[in-house]
Formats: sequence, structure tokens, C-alpha cells
Amino acid sequence: MSGAAAAAGSPALAEHDHLLRTRGVEHALDGFVSGCAFSRDGRTVCFATAEGRIALAASDGGAWREIEAHDGSILSLAPDAGPSGFVSGGDDTVLNRIDAEGGVAPIAKGRRWIEHVASFPGKPGSGAGGLIASAAGKQVELRDAAGTLVKTLEHPSTVSGLCFDAKGKRIAVSHYGGASLWFTASKSDTPRRLEWKGSHIGVVLHPEGEALVTAMQENELHGWRLSDGHNMRMSGYPSKCQSMAFSRNGRWLATGGAEAIVLWPFFGGGPMGKAPTELAGVPDAVAVRVAFHPQHDIVAAGFSDGTVLMSDVGTKRVLPVCGAGRGAVSALSFDASGTRLAFGTESGAVAVVDLSAKS
Amino acid sequence: MSDAPSNTLVPVTVLTGYLGAGKTTLLNHILTANHGRKYAVVINEFGELGVDNDLVVDADEEVFEMNNGCICCTVRGDLIRILGALMKRRQKLDGIIVETTGLADPAPVAQTFFVDDAVREKCRLDAVVTVVDALNLPARLSDSAEARTQVAFADVVILNKCDLVDEAGLAALEERIRSINRPVRIHRAIRGDVSLADVLDQGGFDLQRALEIAPDFLEDESHSHDEDVSSLSFEVREPLDPRKFQAWIGQVLQEQGGNILRSKGILSYAGEPRRFAFQAVHMMADGDFVAPWKDGEARTSRIVFIGRDLNRPRLRRGFEGCRA
Repeated sequence: MSGAAAAAGSPALAEHDHLLRTRGVEHALDGFVSGCAFSRDGRTVCFATAEGRIALAASDGGAWREIEAHDGSILSLAPDAGPSGFVSGGDDTVLNRIDAEGGVAPIAKGRRWIEHVASFPGKPGSGAGGLIASAAGKQVELRDAAGTLVKTLEHPSTVSGLCFDAKGKRIAVSHYGGASLWFTASKSDTPRRLEWKGSHIGVVLHPEGEALVTAMQENELHGWRLSDGHNMRMSGYPSKCQSMAFSRNGRWLATGGAEAIVLWPFFGGGPMGKAPTELAGVPDAVAVRVAFHPQHDIVAAGFSDGTVLMSDVGTKRVLPVCGAGRGAVSALSFDASGTRLAFGTESGAVAVVDLSAKS
Repeated sequence: MSDAPSNTLVPVTVLTGYLGAGKTTLLNHILTANHGRKYAVVINEFGELGVDNDLVVDADEEVFEMNNGCICCTVRGDLIRILGALMKRRQKLDGIIVETTGLADPAPVAQTFFVDDAVREKCRLDAVVTVVDALNLPARLSDSAEARTQVAFADVVILNKCDLVDEAGLAALEERIRSINRPVRIHRAIRGDVSLADVLDQGGFDLQRALEIAPDFLEDESHSHDEDVSSLSFEVREPLDPRKFQAWIGQVLQEQGGNILRSKGILSYAGEPRRFAFQAVHMMADGDFVAPWKDGEARTSRIVFIGRDLNRPRLRRGFEGCRA
């Protein structure tokens, strides 16, 4: 990793910090930043650390406060199903709800690390209520927005990732040997099992439900077209892909795992038989976190050297957010409206950047 | 190969042993000893340990096959996740101990340290420690392939329950252990009361000395107990050509890696002042330059293979063919 001193001393790299300096708020936490998220109402930003602490701020970067939320590391963080607040899982085996004021209320305590959490906000007027999913060992526990356990989903091995679809109708779970796709409202206890040999270490769902994609231990992705179960292989990565995100319309899947942001086309027959597009590489670094803008075809990426940037898929124009030197990026998130970007690093640097058009 | 200097990597000790050999007693002993150091322990069953330790992690032994064309390459995926999470904590651990279940093959645990880049950046496999029960070991070695494999894999064998066997019996047992695994370090114990220095942080232990233990057994077959697992070691006094060695060992492990449980060596490369330390688990190999040869020291390259159906003359000719 390139040193912080070199970055600070280099005018070229300092220039890369322009956006962060002019439109961002930086803060330092003590510990590895294991997650960041905006509340669904966009008013609060939250960072979690491997030291068990939560840092909350107003989404404009004001009013920072830190709280002790877990007795151990925080392994997972997501916005709560409701408009404000968050849910967090730790190696203390506790699932917590964190309110916008910093109050911590345990939802559940189990026997295993809570390694993954996700939530769905519900659809007002449609009858679909909010949901919270948390993974501990081989089980995923599905709760309603109030935190009441609705059902427990069993898997053949430890869960390595989970996500809801855009409508909250299905939940995808990755594990050894493939992935499981469950209907959240179904009374049935059997998921659709998608099988592919090996260790699957993360999962994303196409926003229109067309495909499910997992990252694999062997530096590649595996996908299933959900209409017919057709297998897709996306390989060629120099390192493990730790982060994936679909664009809002589902045309592109952005991933880390290479020097550049790798974009797989999910249109015109792709990704099968198509080469991926590469955006905005950082030499001698690896993209470790990616996030798609919630409205536009713009990807944000955090790199192993601390660089954070955004790139426009159409024009391939790159907008640097900050240069190297704050530690490898370990958390990255847009808010729901796409007007703010938050990130955190392994060294405890955190920041919120305002992306809104200046009036 | 990791760029990080090996002394900044967290040492991981793999603790194996047949059911009832005394692994849990040994773990309790390690965790309650007043050593002032911080260890995380990855176990398979809660409840057995009598100590309250916030860094006891309950894991399932989840083994999967890598799709990397290496037929015997199985890996513990749960360990990749757990080690990754532990390494995020600010307080640096002095070590991690991974306990395996009684019948477990140590290979997947050991191979995990070769396969995953994130693990290799932060952790190193320090030693495989196998706890055996002095009273029941002869029977286990005779009736259990798993027990033989665990002894063969070990860097350290803890010969436990020594109070139940007389001195002659212990000496015979040690000889039998060495007939399987010649360079292994053996420590006698009663109720798991070993010195922690004999179990943890064995990386400082000089592999060269271990390989020197009995250089003259090289062609000596008298230790054979007709075990299906045995060890062979070879030495070459002349400097080696690194390219010849890499090509040869690569081919040996590719062809016979299924039968070669472990191999390790200290090598003298031509024109290189530092010693090259090599080790492999089945087909997965790793190596790095370590401390330089001392002035006046004989720069003898030594290598040992522990495994089944090893062809001594062929391996010896191959190793000797690596001379520069």
C-alpha cells in the first residue's frame, strides 16, 4: 500500500482530494470501518467499526456522535426497514437496532456471529411490510419491521451473503455449492436451489429479477439466468471480488476484484459471450468496494490504496473523490437519492461527500 | 508469496488429535495459563471448553474443493471468513489456535493458508500440533488411517497420558512416531501439561535443525514398522539451481501430491547468501528466503517428504539433479 506521507506531499494527489475537501466532511474513527449506510429517509449516516462502535452523523456531516453498540466486532450494517435508524450484527452474536439518536436496542441474540444483515422498507399501500434479514451460521432469520421473527431459512452450509430483490418478494442467499432463492411471503419451506460447485462468497440480485450473481473464492463470478436457470461464468479477475452492484435499470453489473471497475453488460444477450467494460483503473491497486448511483449510470468505487472515485458508464469520465493514503476502502454507500456518498477505510477514516447540484 | 515480513503475520496453530487424546484438556491448559498473551480459538463445539474467553469462535468444519485443477485441494471456507473477521480488530492477536475434530484430515486447514490471498497477507500457518494418547496410540495407528495421517502431518506431536505407559513403552512409541514422521518434534505430557513454548509460535524453531536431527537415517530402513506412511529425507552438499529445483518440485508435487502429505526443506541456492525455506501441503507449495547462512556453516540443502508410496531412489535422484 502506498504511504500516507507520499500522498500528502504530492500536489498531483492532493488535487485528487479536491471533491472531498470542497464538498465533504472527514472524520476519524478508531478502528477498521466494517460498514456504512444512510438511513432510508436520508437524514442520518452511520459507520460501524470492528471495535464494536457506531458513529452517527447528520447526512450533511454534522453532529457526529459515537456509541458502543456491540461487545466485539460489528460484522454487518444495513439501514433499518423503517425510515430512520439502522440494524447491525456483531461477533457478540447480537442483532441490534440503532435509532437515529444513537439508542441501541437488541432485537435478537443467538449462538453464532451475525455476519450479514439486509432490510426491505416495505411498500406503503401495497400490503408488503418491511423486512429484516440476518444471517448467523447456516440460518437466515427473517423478521418483520417490528423485529418479530417471521421465519427461519435453513441452508446446507454457512451463509456468505444475502440480499432482497427490489420488491421484497424474494431473498437470495449464497453459500457453498451455490445459492438459495426464497419467497419471503411463502409458507413453503423449500427455496429454489441454484447449484454450482465451490465456495460462493457473496450475492446480488438483478433489480428486475432476471439474474442472480455470486462471487466465488476462485476469483470469478457465477450467475444464473432466473428464467431458465442457465449458468453464466464471469472470470478473469486477478483477485477475489469482494463487492458487486447492479445499476438501477439492471443493464450493468459493476464489480471490484481488479485494478479497474469491471462492468458486465446484462443486455443484448450478455454477459454470456461478452467482454466486460473496464472503467477508471488505479495502477497497483484493486477496486475493493463498488456502489451504483441509485438513479444514474454512475459507479462509485473504493480502492485498496484508499482512492475513491466515481465514473460515468456512458462517457467513461472519471471524477476523483479522494486520492490514496487514508487506508484501503472498506465501506462505501450512496444515499437513496444519490445526492451523497459515504465511505470508510480499514484505518478508520470516514467521510461524507455532498454530490447535489449547487443552487 | 506474501510481501509482508513473516514476523508481522499472526501465527496460526492447528490442533489435531484423535477423539479422547486430550485436545480439549490441552486447550484449556493453554487458555488458562498465565501467559499474558491474547489468543483466539476456533473450535467446533461449544461447551467442551471450561474457560470463558470472548475469543472462542464456534465454527463448522466446512471443507470445499477448489476449482483450480488441483484434485486434492480442499480448503476450509469457514476459516477464511473467520480469520478475515478476526484480522479486522485493532488489538493484534498473539496467535490463533484452530481445533479440528477427532477424525478430521488436517490437509484442508493447512491448505487454506496457501490458497487465500487475504489469509496469506495477514496470517501464517505456524505449526500443526497433533495430540496423541500414549496408551491408545499403538491401536489407533494400526486401525485408523486418520490417526496415521494426523501424526504424519504434525510439526509437533504431544505424547499425552505418559503416566499410563512405562519408559520403554514411551521410547518405542516415539520411535514408531518417527518412523512415520522423522523430523517431528515430540513432547511428552501428562494431562496436557506441556510448556506453551513447545506448542505455540513454533515458527521461530529452526527447520534446519529439525531436518538435521538424524541425517544418517537417510538410507536406513530399520525403523520401518510397515506403516503405510513414512518419511524420506535427502541432502545435497553442493548449491542448487533455483530454476531446476522449482521445476523438479513442481513436477513431483503435481504427480505425487496426493500421496505426499507434507514436504519441507532448507535449501542453499547458488550465489544466494540466504537460506531458502520451502514447505508444501500435498500440491500446495510455498517458499521464502529466511536468515542467511552463517560464516563457516556447511551449506547443505535438506528436504523431507512425508507420505505414502514414496519412491526413495527416484526422489533422491531428482533432488540431486537440482545441483547448480
